[in-house]
Amino acid sequence: MFEAWHLPGLPTPTEWLEGRTHAGSAFRAPSLSGTEAGIVAAHVREGALEARAHRATTDVIQAIGAAAARLTAEGSAGIATRELLHAELGWDDRLIRDTLDGMARTWTTDALAGLVDSELGGPAVLDGFVRDEGWEGPGVRRRRAVGAPVVLQVLAGNVPGVAITATIRALLARSGVLCKLPEAEPGLLPMFARLLAEEDPLLGRSVAATWWPGSHFPAAWGEWTKWAGKVVVYGGAAAVEAVRGALPAHTDLISYGPRTGVAVLLPDTPQEEAAAALARDVCAYDQQGCVSPRLVYVVGLATGAFVSRLAGALEERTRDHPPPDPTPEEAVAIRSARAMFEFGGYKDGGLGVEAPGESLAWTILVSESPAARTESLPRVVWVHRVPELETLEEVLRPLEGRIQTFGFSGSEGLRRLAALATRLGVGRIAPLGSVAWPPPDWRHEGRHQLLPLLNWTDFEAPK
Amino acid sequence: MTIHTPVGNDFDSLAAECAAAFDRWVPGGSEWDDDRLNEWARRAFALQFAENSTYRKYCETRRVRPGDVSGWRDVPPVPTAAFRAVDLIVGPSSGAKLTFLTSGTSRGSSRRGRHLVRSPDLYRASLRASFRAFVLEGEDAANIVTLPPSFTYDPTLSLGWMLDDVRAGFASELGGSVATADGVDWTALDAVVADAVRLDLPLCLLGTTLGFAEWLERLTDGRSITSPLPSRSRLMDTGGVKAREGLERAAVLTGLCGQLGLRLEAIVNEFGMTELLSQRYGHGDPGVPLLGPPWLRSWVLDPVTLEELPDGQTGILCHYDLANLGSVCSVLTEDRGRIVGEGIEWIGRTEGAPPRGCSLATAELLEAQEHV
Repeated sequence: MFEAWHLPGLPTPTEWLEGRTHAGSAFRAPSLSGTEAGIVAAHVREGALEARAHRATTDVIQAIGAAAARLTAEGSAGIATRELLHAELGWDDRLIRDTLDGMARTWTTDALAGLVDSELGGPAVLDGFVRDEGWEGPGVRRRRAVGAPVVLQVLAGNVPGVAITATIRALLARSGVLCKLPEAEPGLLPMFARLLAEEDPLLGRSVAATWWPGSHFPAAWGEWTKWAGKVVVYGGAAAVEAVRGALPAHTDLISYGPRTGVAVLLPDTPQEEAAAALARDVCAYDQQGCVSPRLVYVVGLATGAFVSRLAGALEERTRDHPPPDPTPEEAVAIRSARAMFEFGGYKDGGLGVEAPGESLAWTILVSESPAARTESLPRVVWVHRVPELETLEEVLRPLEGRIQTFGFSGSEGLRRLAALATRLGVGRIAPLGSVAWPPPDWRHEGRHQLLPLLNWTDFEAPK
Repeated sequence: MTIHTPVGNDFDSLAAECAAAFDRWVPGGSEWDDDRLNEWARRAFALQFAENSTYRKYCETRRVRPGDVSGWRDVPPVPTAAFRAVDLIVGPSSGAKLTFLTSGTSRGSSRRGRHLVRSPDLYRASLRASFRAFVLEGEDAANIVTLPPSFTYDPTLSLGWMLDDVRAGFASELGGSVATADGVDWTALDAVVADAVRLDLPLCLLGTTLGFAEWLERLTDGRSITSPLPSRSRLMDTGGVKAREGLERAAVLTGLCGQLGLRLEAIVNEFGMTELLSQRYGHGDPGVPLLGPPWLRSWVLDPVTLEELPDGQTGILCHYDLANLGSVCSVLTEDRGRIVGEGIEWIGRTEGAPPRGCSLATAELLEAQEHV
């Protein structure tokens, strides 16, 4: 059993809640009373305010970068991380390493400094008032950005590292963070928080994370919401609405919902290369991330040749990075989807399945006509032929605002694809092979990462 | 390649032979041992391979041909999802005498599954033989009262056809259908119960668990007449309470037993599915094991590897049903269950996989929009 909590300021816990991940690994977290939750929240708030007073943002970036490096390096902390993720998710070591490497690229000191530069022009504005050189009014204007003393986060899913990324954003906004951990992957953020506390005890005091079962709102939640200036929630519409309904009026809510990934093969695509790149993107995070492509559109060409290459690439990738067994529900759903396409193909052609026999390691569902229907299943892609890019707009219109990324290969019509992405509210367009690993300063769901967490103070004064 | 049907193994001949064998079945007899069923299975598979072109393609993809099948366990099972994608029938679709639809939608497809029935006589033979054995305990007639559904009002439901058929096949002096286009004719049900009590004739009540739950509500609040039924009365429910919140089959049955003076052993739970033309039956509550005729066999597979699991372990149910001669005999379900003694325990449907990451299943989104 592993520990799924990091609660600075909490006296030794006596009552426990126990959970189990999808892969069957048991974990526990303290059963917090409202009073205990209040003690933790006060501790976190105090830690965050002290850190603001005694640490520059560059110090914060250094400490985070150092903790993250230990989490993912070859030392004892890195080994413990990989053991934890293997137990939590049942993932094979290669898949864990690939995922962590991808995530860790966004947690380095350089990447974090780059993010702050990209969104705020540098860290100074987080540490004090900075003169606004563009000010044309009387006197001078100075500006400062600061996050709420406490941000409450409700985390979801089991893509390792998402909880850490969310927490880092709040720390960069100079907030303290209270987190409700996801049942599917509750261990990694507490591990990161402990390392952060070792790097800088003051920052370690600024992060609290724990888990409780289900989607209900216990006494600890009620207490934490009183302290939270902003609430960040990851999850589907129902989860977001449930959280919204369980917050005091006027609490600022920032939500990140599920999205899907789309890959577009333009007519001049080098197919062999594109198949290998797509297989890499599909297998990343075992296809559970919103950046992982699920829908693949082959523009202007029959799908057959590409599907054969993609099958080969997925098979090769699977040999090197075997996926964990699907859950029974996933297994049944994959077979059901395969049956629909296989039998549909027997009926009138135009549909087909590529898969490694009865193994569920990967599945390609092929259709010679365009559609946008997918299910959340591991290593399953839907490949459709579209006669031209313009058709794609019609097909994807129902998913407007729900597509995270367009991955592409080829160049013929790329500008039109970019224009289409803009019209459909797609947050990012990237070459296949890099789709699953967005750069540190990407616009997550088309939005800035830090700005939504910040409040600004404008200070206008005579010279 | 042209596939020829072996002489004497055409659908009509084989269906007639099967139906006669079903009729002759005596529970506990030796006519349906494994060797005999395997012989039937070889002939049935040869026919389906020859005349069900879609199934033949499925089998050929898996490199299974009639020469590879030595018994019912070798017959490639078809996932139930296939019934949503295509018509699976021996011969042309125009040969279907009945077309039954599965209920509801699932797995990102709004299409309901279809089971085309080429021989109602074969379906009837299997149905009546099992009903006589497991519900009527060998009797040839009963005062059968059927609640909805009825084939008269919804010809797409196999359950409606089944209820109407056994009512017609085992009719006695009292009974009838109390189904209407809108539900139960409660006045008619009250009347037939009153007649049965007055004449001291045992009733055999057939319907869905939800229909009986509604009746229990009426009995409880006095809208229907509460009266102990004559001894040897019995009740067959089917379908369970599904997602009706706060309702449990056990509570419905216990309540009805109390209101109608029935023993729990007089309750029979029927398990059937549109994709199968034979049924299983369990007595009392929880109605385990569900027993069936010897031409219906079930086994349990690991959902991931499809390897057969030992008796008692929970997995995905797979059925072989010779009464499915006109479509496909071997069916891989999406149901969880296990082998218990000579029968099975049905545990429930495997619901759709919940998303584990932040990846969006677009099917629900698109379906929501299609239904706006």
